[in-house]
Amino acid sequence: MNALITWLDSRTGFKDLMHEALYERVPGGARWRYVWGSTLVFTFTLQVITGFMLWSAYSPSTRTAWESVFYIQNVMAFGYLVRGIHHFAAQAMVVLMAIHLVQVVIDGAYKAPREMNFWLGLVLLQIVLGLSLTGYLLPWDQKGYYATKVTTNIMSATPVVGAEVQTMAQGGTEYGHLTLTRFFAMHAGILPAMLVGFLALHIYVFRRHGLTVHDVNHAPETNFWPDQVLKDAIACLAVLAVVMLLALFKGAELSAPADAATKFDAARPEWYFLFLFKFLHFEAVNRLGITFGAIIVPGIIMGIIAMMPLTYKFLGNLGHRLNTTFIWLLGAAIVVLTAMAIIEDNNDPKFQADVAESHRDGQRARELALGPDRIPVEGAISLMRNDPFTQGPRLFFQHCKACHRYNGHDGRGSLVTEIVKELVEGKEVETTVLTKPTAVDLNGFGKREWMRSVVVDYPAHFSWLKNSGWYKQAAAAEAAGTEVTYLDPDNSEMADWSGSRDSLMSAENADNLTALVEFLFAEADHGFQPEDPKTRGDFTDVDVSLLDKGRAVATEGAWAGDLNGTSCIDCHSTIGQDFVVAADDEGDGYPTMAKYASEAWLRDFIRNPGAARHYGEKNEMPAYRVEKLSDQDLDLLIRWMTGNHLPSEVPDYGSQLNAFEVVAPQGAADATE
Amino acid sequence: MSDTSSQSIPAPEQPTDPPGAGRRNVLVEILTAFLSFIIVAVPSTIGGIFFLDPLVRGRKPKGDGGETGGLTGFIKLPVTADSIPADGTPVAVSVRTDQDDAWNHYKDVPVGSVWLRKTPVGKIIVFNSVCPHLGCSVDYRRSENDFFCPCHTSCFTLDGEKTNDIPPRGMDELEIATATDGQPNENGVELWVKFQNFRSTTSEKIAI
Repeated sequence: MNALITWLDSRTGFKDLMHEALYERVPGGARWRYVWGSTLVFTFTLQVITGFMLWSAYSPSTRTAWESVFYIQNVMAFGYLVRGIHHFAAQAMVVLMAIHLVQVVIDGAYKAPREMNFWLGLVLLQIVLGLSLTGYLLPWDQKGYYATKVTTNIMSATPVVGAEVQTMAQGGTEYGHLTLTRFFAMHAGILPAMLVGFLALHIYVFRRHGLTVHDVNHAPETNFWPDQVLKDAIACLAVLAVVMLLALFKGAELSAPADAATKFDAARPEWYFLFLFKFLHFEAVNRLGITFGAIIVPGIIMGIIAMMPLTYKFLGNLGHRLNTTFIWLLGAAIVVLTAMAIIEDNNDPKFQADVAESHRDGQRARELALGPDRIPVEGAISLMRNDPFTQGPRLFFQHCKACHRYNGHDGRGSLVTEIVKELVEGKEVETTVLTKPTAVDLNGFGKREWMRSVVVDYPAHFSWLKNSGWYKQAAAAEAAGTEVTYLDPDNSEMADWSGSRDSLMSAENADNLTALVEFLFAEADHGFQPEDPKTRGDFTDVDVSLLDKGRAVATEGAWAGDLNGTSCIDCHSTIGQDFVVAADDEGDGYPTMAKYASEAWLRDFIRNPGAARHYGEKNEMPAYRVEKLSDQDLDLLIRWMTGNHLPSEVPDYGSQLNAFEVVAPQGAADATE
Repeated sequence: MSDTSSQSIPAPEQPTDPPGAGRRNVLVEILTAFLSFIIVAVPSTIGGIFFLDPLVRGRKPKGDGGETGGLTGFIKLPVTADSIPADGTPVAVSVRTDQDDAWNHYKDVPVGSVWLRKTPVGKIIVFNSVCPHLGCSVDYRRSENDFFCPCHTSCFTLDGEKTNDIPPRGMDELEIATATDGQPNENGVELWVKFQNFRSTTSEKIAI
């Protein structure tokens, strides 16, 4: 063994190298304050290890980047951990770098003869920030895509060559495959190679000049090994522990696959750039332009930091005091701006709703990609674009929320509000008030509760209509003695029938009512959404044993008591039949109940609600012709409303109905009596 | 790094123990070495397991012939039994099915090809067209009336037996079933094959 070591040493001289590396003098003893540089080297090592591993599974193109990261994260052995470590170690690196810089400045380690090393460190800082920036885009998810778009647009604000810089970084004028291949080459090749080179120089120059000793008399002089190495190792272990805990329990998020056509308002830079984000949003900064805020100011700050050795050289101790004051002020400003950005976001309901939607989409994308059809060759983006659960709420928001609500919200979880201007004591005051819906809340459309509510409490079920302008006008005209044809939830034949509540709700009709509701529910034939999506099969939860009875009630009037002999079919002559598009002169004058609320019925109704077979001349709903709502969008909307899609474990948007307590329909309460 | 600058002291032969060290120093050295090992070993192990993913993660069994009767794992061929020449001339048919590739799922893509042949007694036999030697595609050679691989001149009889010593084994015969409307039926004309690939260069037939 000894002979082998001697031989190896005589051929390589490794013993000298080890001595050089390990027995560096540490005057004043080992100190915790010297560990920061080592933790940075360690974090970089972590990034190299996990980065190479991720590289072995990552595929940079717009149709495979998200997909491969999804695969790493959700399928591959320890993938979430490898990605999690890489994600959080990257953030740790930025934090440690900031601490290292502050430490260097307050200890005066930038002073002669170490100016060169200080500048090398600043170069390293730029490289690490470049790595963060390029890495953020690589998963090609909504979050990284839109955040990086902002950065590349800032690049275009560079004086003179802005547009060229941006085009070069993106690999073209738009984001695409080449953006990813270029960012990946930067992230995994060029920048790490530069980092290794500059790090070697940085350490070499550091060793040349030795430690900047804080206090020579702190303790007896020692060597780097083992006393300082022990402290360094413990510090690195602490960094590793924090990173591992975050990776295990928080995990790196993967939001929905990037889609240039889907608005994403939850975009924020990584948290350590939030201060810059906040800074750019100040009105004063905004007015001076993006070039000033995002390029000139950071440039000046970096310039001042780079000048620190000269400041000291020319101003002596005053210069050092100026430098330390500057670095503390800068640090404080960053902390304050970051806190401001976070607090503002937390108090912004719009942003919070956007973030919630972003999480919802991210979870849904994962669910679809893990679903039975996995990911088609067109990429995960097509899964999202063709998913009713994802697109339905957006289409509802776009087309329906002007009149309808969904569980009290606008389809995407938020209340619909408007700003009202009032004159208070001669001053114009703006207040945000709830916009009243003017049509029925469509949550639970076609479900049992809905059918029951229509049958037993028609006036209450449709009472939302009374908020509308057309209703108020018509009611006023009627009160003034004019004859008007309009839908009045309180005064209609259905309301009259539904008005026989005593008989309808009597014990002798309880079974009949249940059977009728089950029959109507079965006719609508909505997809079964089990509590646990994994139990999904080709079945519904319709109670088939009730259907004959329900049909008899609907078509033969098989009620008990007063209602006996009255049946739905007396007016709705097509109930129980298949839905067919009846010509306007063939109708019975009542809305068709043939497969009411089913996909076929909805498709025809939304396109043409004013047809005689639907609401006829009483209709107030605009027709959604193909110019307004494409066939594909209509299909997605209907499939969302009828639950015809891959079931989801993603929780639905919470109810906002309590905001409407004043105008809430009575039927819902009655139905549960 | 071995460059000695004016500032660095000459490297001592033995570590210079600071005063008051000794046994304590050895313990510190062991502890330091141990911790240093841990902080590198943990990420390396995690990364290593990740890299071994193809080996450590259980593979999903193939089975896309659906749950139809006894045909699980079988793939329907685009030819019928009555279209195979009665004179024993082999027919090449490409096999299409759904295929998984990491995160992607491809619907109805070609996954390989087979040689179909009617034996003199009217039984249909089927071979994977991949040569068991080194994975080239085996051709039917009309002049010699045999199977022949152009890469390294492997030769097989029409029954799949090897006729020279280049291939390690005969051609890989596959299970085949006849069916009617997806249900196994001896007299049916639908042809369903249990398509598999096998490891090359081994004398044994090992499915992969």
